[in-house]
Amino acid sequence: MEELKQKLKEQIIEALNLQDTRPEDIKDDAPLFGEGLGLDSIDSLELMVLLERSYHIKVEDPREGRKILQSVQSMAEFIKSKQPA
Amino acid sequence: MAAISPQHTFEGDLSVQPMVISSGNMLSCVEPDYKAFIPGNSLRRMSRILKIGLTTALRCLQDSGIETPGAIVTGTGKGSLQDTEKFIKEILDYKETALNPTPFIQSTYNAVNGLIALQQKCTQYNNTFVHRGFSFENALLDSMLLLHEGKENVLAGAFEEITAEHFYIKSRVGQWKSEDISNDTLYQHFSPGTISGEGAAFFVLGPEATANTYAELAGLKMLYKPSQEKLAASLQTFLQSHEEIDMVLTGRNADINYDRYYQVVDQQLSGIPQLPFKHLCGEYDTAGAFALWLGAQLLKTQQLPLQWFPMQHQTPAKLRNILIYNNFFGEQHVFMLLKGI
Repeated sequence: MEELKQKLKEQIIEALNLQDTRPEDIKDDAPLFGEGLGLDSIDSLELMVLLERSYHIKVEDPREGRKILQSVQSMAEFIKSKQPA
Repeated sequence: MAAISPQHTFEGDLSVQPMVISSGNMLSCVEPDYKAFIPGNSLRRMSRILKIGLTTALRCLQDSGIETPGAIVTGTGKGSLQDTEKFIKEILDYKETALNPTPFIQSTYNAVNGLIALQQKCTQYNNTFVHRGFSFENALLDSMLLLHEGKENVLAGAFEEITAEHFYIKSRVGQWKSEDISNDTLYQHFSPGTISGEGAAFFVLGPEATANTYAELAGLKMLYKPSQEKLAASLQTFLQSHEEIDMVLTGRNADINYDRYYQVVDQQLSGIPQLPFKHLCGEYDTAGAFALWLGAQLLKTQQLPLQWFPMQHQTPAKLRNILIYNNFFGEQHVFMLLKGI
């Protein structure tokens, strides 16, 4: 799980071109939108694309997407839940 | 007004800037520090031409002392090529699935206008013209019509970028020289093709001159694929309704395929000094915007940056009226007349 979260932080920084942000600056449970990293609705679409391209997971329901993209922790838990045990 | 180009134009004072010399037949913009104009969180998502276009527009507004323009009107022949190429490549790579929205959004021609409007909170008239070599000139024409209708402080401009991919595609149809030259020696290489370029230039247009005004745009004429005879006749008519010309800013680009049109101007205006500008900015759909910016600079400062024009030996004592003549690969031809204030 820790390895996945670290990888996700690196991927988020690269996909969203978060200059001046390092993986260690992103707390596992800090909100990605609003107060935390200050991401917006376009970023949420980019993160959906990231999940599809890197983890082959398609999020069909936008309401579900909101919960999944809450934090790095929630994203990692969602990915784990979709991967075969 | 403001310009970002392959020369140091963003700083404004041309007299102290050396000419930027590049080889490889592809001139690229000298880019400023964007962070002074665009918030970091917005900057991270923008592609190069969006940053160039938006920053030029913001610098222009700053230069004019205007915060919110009365209208935003631009022209671009190709828009954001980088985003278009990225989006098309991703369609292929990911087989039309999992497509990133940002390059698609930014590949639309009116993305720069949208960014200017958002950043300046401008909800006024907003239009982008995409008409190849007439893109900027149609933006100018629309701006002039808006001024006639009573609008003030119309922000008019153009932006264009070149990418390696697009340079390669156009090299296949012979637009660029086959020999590798540097821009300062362009006019010594009369052969098929020219050098490519890019840039952005923005202007605030108003119905009356103010203390900040650089020049007056006194005439604009567009001709599509004219014969040499038609071009000569149109130039004569254009000049009849205007005063004496002190200098011609010519879009001559050392492309032997279309030089016959520039020879028409040579014959009609023999004895009047001509100043070529394509060695500074390269050839692109909206290079006329660079010429307009340069002409207005020369009229305001009454100084010719000789380091940019080593070929120029004949300089008028006073610049009052400048004629700009440009054509885009023989198709779109434009006359503009600029008058000093």
